[in-house]
Amino acid sequence: MSKKITKIAVLGSIGVAALAAPQIFTSGVTQNLAILALLFAVVASNWDLTLGYAGIFNFAHVAFFGIGAYTSAIVTIHLGVPIWLDLVCAVAVVAVLSAITAFLALRLRGIYVALVTFAFVQLCVALIISQKSITGGAVGLVGVPDLQIAGYAFGVDYQAYFYTAEALLIASTIFLRWLVTSNFGLSLIALRDNESYARSRGIPATRQRVLAMVLSSIFPALAGGVYAHYLIVASPDIFSFSLTTLILSMTLLGGTATIYGPIIGALFLTIMIEALAGLGVVRFMIVAVLIILTLRFLSGGIWSLGESVRDIIASLKNKQRSNTK
Amino acid sequence: MGAIIVSGLVSGSIYALIASGLSLVWGALGVFNFSHGVLLMAGAFVAWWISDPSGLGFGLLTGVIGSVLFMAVAGAVVYRILVRPWLGNSNAELTVIMTTIAGAMFAENLALYIFGGRLKVLDQAITGTVTLLGTTIQAQNLLVIILSPILLGSLAIFLKRSKYGLAIRAIAQNREVAQMMGIRIEAMYVTTFAVSAILAGIAGVMFAGLFSLGPSMGTDPLLRAFLVVVLGGLGSLPGTILAAYLIGLIEALSSYYIGIYWTPVALFSVLIFILLIRPTGLMGREV
Repeated sequence: MSKKITKIAVLGSIGVAALAAPQIFTSGVTQNLAILALLFAVVASNWDLTLGYAGIFNFAHVAFFGIGAYTSAIVTIHLGVPIWLDLVCAVAVVAVLSAITAFLALRLRGIYVALVTFAFVQLCVALIISQKSITGGAVGLVGVPDLQIAGYAFGVDYQAYFYTAEALLIASTIFLRWLVTSNFGLSLIALRDNESYARSRGIPATRQRVLAMVLSSIFPALAGGVYAHYLIVASPDIFSFSLTTLILSMTLLGGTATIYGPIIGALFLTIMIEALAGLGVVRFMIVAVLIILTLRFLSGGIWSLGESVRDIIASLKNKQRSNTK
Repeated sequence: MGAIIVSGLVSGSIYALIASGLSLVWGALGVFNFSHGVLLMAGAFVAWWISDPSGLGFGLLTGVIGSVLFMAVAGAVVYRILVRPWLGNSNAELTVIMTTIAGAMFAENLALYIFGGRLKVLDQAITGTVTLLGTTIQAQNLLVIILSPILLGSLAIFLKRSKYGLAIRAIAQNREVAQMMGIRIEAMYVTTFAVSAILAGIAGVMFAGLFSLGPSMGTDPLLRAFLVVVLGGLGSLPGTILAAYLIGLIEALSSYYIGIYWTPVALFSVLIFILLIRPTGLMGREV
């Protein structure tokens, strides 16, 4: 009973925070940071499905995010596709590309998957920079139209973008949590932990893994599209090694195979990097040291820290209960 | 045509040095070092700092010797801090990717912090021009083309003939038995990392002599090295060297005929094609 109450309390406070935050953080810098953190949290948590649950070490999710952004930009600017519909295009394009990439990459094992997907990201950059007339080259494609609903432009005070990013993260999290607790999620974990046994119990390894890649590419693609609308530009910086490292750091610091961890990681890292802005490049050295220390001493990430606190509280409660008896 | 072949050989030589270090570490330890690119950068920067008048000003020879010594230590440090703690864990292969990426992030920003982002120029070992295959090239290019096979050849002989080489192959084949035979595994791993780092450092010095040096100079060569090891098959030195020169030549040919922007596309098409036929690369073994 009390568990249910806690759950309702947690969900309620998240809901209140989600409604209140865009009203509170209205200054340019914090608002911008919050929106970016939310969008990166979408990418980081979806990455976790393949990285943490399926055990596929890949670099493709930054590319999914970037291709989503570019698809939105290209179809709205060059093809005149109306806004909102371009997000559907983004998801479709990314889903097809992720299926192809996954199918090719997952013929390989372990380290080769990481290398090939890493190369895939670089191929995207090379293609984007080379096709200047379509993609705007190294400068990026400028002039992505603002999102709007019934004449209300999102770019007026950016609050609507804040709510959109929040809605995206919440929808993505519900989707991912549903996936990982479903039979499909269990089959991914089985394949990760003992592939030969899982196969012998009739789990089709390649199909499940390709499916995991495709399903986890949907929300990053949407986030990429919203990102392009929000910034008015899709630029090749999205694919840069530094952004890849940053989003990967969010996933790792937060804690893999939890979905919630990477979200916490995204918020934590964004706040930390901004708070240490005065230190210049030194802050990225701090992030690097934090990642190494986390992997060394806290392999479950920040999320596992919260879990161990919960365990301690639970054991204290049990003690109290046995004392009163 | 001569110019294309020369340029392909130059990049192939540098790729071979970088990729063989990666392949060596993979063959011995079964981990992949994502900080290999910043090792290249570190080698170039140490040589520049020792040799350049705005640094210590000791001249290029001292710079290169200093760089080689520094890289041996750097390789050992990378091993101790980023690799050793996780070796033997069931998911060491993947964890080490993350730790070495973090290490690369640290080193790149450290270089940016110390030296700033402005590109620097390293003196060339020899100046002047030579005529080769009907084209006139910088003598430095010729030096790279000649020196690289000599280094790789000595590496191959070292691995084939020396006691160390025998030991490292024994460990790769059967760790427990090798240990029982009195091979000091820890020392072998440190040596492997040191050798790999020295190769990266030399490649960095060569690269800096031909182009320029900056904190993120290691990213592009590392990426090419990825292609090389995937194409050649990780852990196979002959495969790696063959693939390095192949990639260098394909790159030079396609930059000339279909333009520099389409070159990466050509490289990836070749890669995908080969992986479809041989998922473990040209001369790779099952992993």
